[in-house]
Amino acid sequence: MNHLEEYRRAVSEPSDYARQLKKASGKKIIGYTCSYTPEEVIMAAGAHPLRLFGTKQNISLADSHLQSYCCSVVRGILEEGLSGRVDYLDGMVFPHTCDSMQRLSDIWRMNIPLGFHLDITLPVKLDTASAKDYMIDVLKKSRDDLGRKLNIEITDEALQKAIATTNAIRQSIRAIYDIRNLYPQLMPGEDLYTIVRSSMIIDRDRLAVILAETAADLKERAVGAKPAAVKRILLAGSMCNQPDVYAMIQESGGEIVWDDFCTGARYFAGLTDAGNDPLSGIGERLMDRVVCPAKHADLDGRAKHIIQLAKEKNARGVIFLMFKFCDPHAFDYPYLKERLDKAGIPLMVVEIDDSLPAGGQLKTRFEAFLEMLRKEI
Amino acid sequence: MTEHMQNNEKKTVNYEKQMRDIMTTYYINAKTARQNNKKVAWITSGGPVEPLIAMDIIPVYPENHGAMIGASKMGVDLCNKAEQMGYSSDLCSYARGDISCATVNGGPIGGLPEPDMLVCCNNICGTVLKWYEVQARYFKVPLFIFDTPIVHTEFSSEMRTYVQRQMDEYILFLEGVCGRKMDQDRMKEVGKLSYEGQQLWQEVLDTAVNRPSPLTAFDAFFYLALIVTLRGTQQAVDYYRGLRDEMRRRASEGKGAIPRERYRLLWDNLPIWYRLKWLSQEFAKHDACLVADTYTSAWCGSLKYVKENDFIGSAAESYTRIYLNIGVDQMAGIVLSMIDKYGADGIVMHSNRSCKPYSFGQYDIQKIVERERGIPSLIIEADMCDERSFSEAQTQTRIDAFMEMIRANKEAF
Amino acid sequence: MYTIGIDIGSVTAKGVLMSGDKMLASEACFTGYNAGAAARKIFDRLLADNQVRPSDVHGVVATGYGRNSVPFADKTLTEIMCHAAGARHLNPAIGAVIDIGGQDSKAIILGNGGNVANFIMNDKCAAGTGRFLEVMARALEVDLDNFGARSLEAENPAKISSLCAVFAESEVVSLIAGGEKRENIIAGIHEAIASRVAAMASRLGIGAAASVMMTGGVARNIGVVKAMEKALGYPISVSPHAQMTGAIGAACLASYAF
Repeated sequence: MNHLEEYRRAVSEPSDYARQLKKASGKKIIGYTCSYTPEEVIMAAGAHPLRLFGTKQNISLADSHLQSYCCSVVRGILEEGLSGRVDYLDGMVFPHTCDSMQRLSDIWRMNIPLGFHLDITLPVKLDTASAKDYMIDVLKKSRDDLGRKLNIEITDEALQKAIATTNAIRQSIRAIYDIRNLYPQLMPGEDLYTIVRSSMIIDRDRLAVILAETAADLKERAVGAKPAAVKRILLAGSMCNQPDVYAMIQESGGEIVWDDFCTGARYFAGLTDAGNDPLSGIGERLMDRVVCPAKHADLDGRAKHIIQLAKEKNARGVIFLMFKFCDPHAFDYPYLKERLDKAGIPLMVVEIDDSLPAGGQLKTRFEAFLEMLRKEI
Repeated sequence: MTEHMQNNEKKTVNYEKQMRDIMTTYYINAKTARQNNKKVAWITSGGPVEPLIAMDIIPVYPENHGAMIGASKMGVDLCNKAEQMGYSSDLCSYARGDISCATVNGGPIGGLPEPDMLVCCNNICGTVLKWYEVQARYFKVPLFIFDTPIVHTEFSSEMRTYVQRQMDEYILFLEGVCGRKMDQDRMKEVGKLSYEGQQLWQEVLDTAVNRPSPLTAFDAFFYLALIVTLRGTQQAVDYYRGLRDEMRRRASEGKGAIPRERYRLLWDNLPIWYRLKWLSQEFAKHDACLVADTYTSAWCGSLKYVKENDFIGSAAESYTRIYLNIGVDQMAGIVLSMIDKYGADGIVMHSNRSCKPYSFGQYDIQKIVERERGIPSLIIEADMCDERSFSEAQTQTRIDAFMEMIRANKEAF
Repeated sequence: MYTIGIDIGSVTAKGVLMSGDKMLASEACFTGYNAGAAARKIFDRLLADNQVRPSDVHGVVATGYGRNSVPFADKTLTEIMCHAAGARHLNPAIGAVIDIGGQDSKAIILGNGGNVANFIMNDKCAAGTGRFLEVMARALEVDLDNFGARSLEAENPAKISSLCAVFAESEVVSLIAGGEKRENIIAGIHEAIASRVAAMASRLGIGAAASVMMTGGVARNIGVVKAMEKALGYPISVSPHAQMTGAIGAACLASYAF
């Protein structure tokens, strides 16, 4: 069974899914905004972590609180909160991400009385001993805070169990990515997008089961498959909220074989070594996995990572999808371009915004870029 | 610049000229540092400069340079150049200007002296982190990052521990780059001078409580330079003591900064550096004096956390709990207290494209001010350094309409 | 006592002659290249057509973007003040004004006594202005005067989500290419402009109790008025003198100013 219908339903109507889950299981629904969120802590509290990605509706209520020079992800999340469409939320968790998210947390806390509000002020630095100690301190604090707000004691055992589940989920998604990387023709890019996105929406225990089955199904179909002759593309950026992009690139003759998205490969990067102290394990994974541009680990780790990915996955080119008004990614772009140019890897950059549906202009640019690339022999 | 009435040229010191002289000397020293065997550190405006002063390192502020670039109307060209380099036009204009300036040695003083080290404290925003990463790659010099977590609602013991440890790491970093140890006595002395300097700066700003105010926010934007760049020096203490006494003298003689002060306003956010004179004239034309602002007061806002005799020990809290690093509701509380202290009839909020932590939340602060104090607020959409985001005609209409409203409201009582 | 109010907009110049608080006459012409000349033309016409001598005129107030180009004006006031006063004159019960002009839009809350209690402007973005409608009407090859009425014929308004007028035009082109019914597109455009302006009005805190009037040229567009009512959730009144509101307010204020 490939469970694609289940993933699709969750992704197209996440609020319906959340309401049904809440009704059926009684689980508390906790919203979050960033892949640095310690989901395991939420799970260990018996609650359900649900990622908010923005909004598919027009933005109007958020305009009363955020200026137009704010990215549509942040404005969209605020819009969802203000509109009442996510009134099933029992709480909202805001790890520190970037300047816009930081203010979103305050504005949400001041204006949206939905359940509880929790800040997790994670470090921005990820490269020193004191940062690591602080990371673990904050995770410990978040366990205490969350436990208090949910009126439950979050035990180490529960954490260990949650870690096992998230590790299993990550391994399954990685397996799917690996197989698809070899034989992209086995699964449309849109489906990959759907699977990864749904893994931030669907109940994690259920997810662990169905993802394993999806991976196994794909593995079976891969037997005897041959690599397709396509123009292999790497996507880079923070996230893509419009699956049409995948279809567009496909129609233009390309295939997305990997990405470095927060809501993509970075989400399942690395496994948690629970060891003796589960929170330390969670913290270490967050310190070690490839850095988000809103954090600091080194001066050029991201460039090295993208170049290595491109080589490893035999990508013919890299497409940067950057949200308008996303500062951390925009600051990184010039040096990434410089390094990729030096490494001889073709790239293109497009600015995206959730209020601008992926249309003809975008398709034309993808087509032009792909025409430029040599085909994989 | 607001015209001040000078009593007797021979007796009184011209504080504007003195500031210009001090800053000129400061920049000359910075640009000749190497010849004098001194090291130069680039540091963010909210960063702890005191250890640099104590170690005889010359601190240089790319943001102060950004303000100068804006004021000398060179912002558009330099930002343009940065865009050609691949930097989005939506990024902070200070950063864009500085990044391109470094490659062409542009700007009003022919570029900043190259840094021997970079010190980046993110208490003001996350942009500085990226900006300094860019410069670290460009200049290939050591980078120290001071990570001050955001105090949305509480300053936790975990935060205190983390920032305190970084303070120690910072000292070690400086000792490493300089190849010598920090003189603890000197550090203590600098800490005391920093405290005194901040106190004096607060007292300078306090003189605006008087009616009429001897000082406008536009003056404060100008006089701010020393407390930012040379905090911890005797020079800053001496200057501000003199300035404070001068302002007190003017206040006692009833000398207002503008010809006729009928309305008192508060300014929020960074200045619009390339239009300061025009703005002050526009408001003065309406008999309105901007008596205080949230920007300049940020450099004495941490006084309550600073321990005069223990700079290093209290730096964790004083550098973390600054105006921009707290929750929006706390910022609103500070705005309300300033409205009360200075007797403001309205607030003018610069919705600054380049500064998200300062601008996002202004709409909520606006609502809170209206609800709690019943005074009107005006939003001016612009950018602190990039003139392309500013429209004079539209801004003038808004200021005129705002003042019409304030005038009518006041007359109604 | 005669007073004259002149509102120099970016496209049209309007003038009103009042006697006491009675509106006697109004004039309009294209502002064109020379705002001062347009103002003069309006002034002269108002006097000539109503047999009023210049010395009979107690005061002239100029408003609008071109207000500083009227040398014979006794005083200049912003259009915020003038729209407020004008709306109050047309209907003393009015508590709030929403004006969508050619190149900007604004919302005003009136205080006791008809003065301005608070205001908000959108002057940076074309998507909430009359210009947006003009551009769209041209793209759809519909007469601008008919645009609003056509929007009411839609069964299923198309969704136009772009923040920017330029991109909205691209969206419209795609919709046309996709075979969407013209009425639905037109309705979508009206909803888009209404949503921008309504968001601005909500930010200011205009609520149902306020008794809102729409002024300015775009108020004559029934489609926008209906879309605004839908977006805000309460009725909006429109005076037949909507386009003259600024000039009327200027003329009213001319009698107090001296």
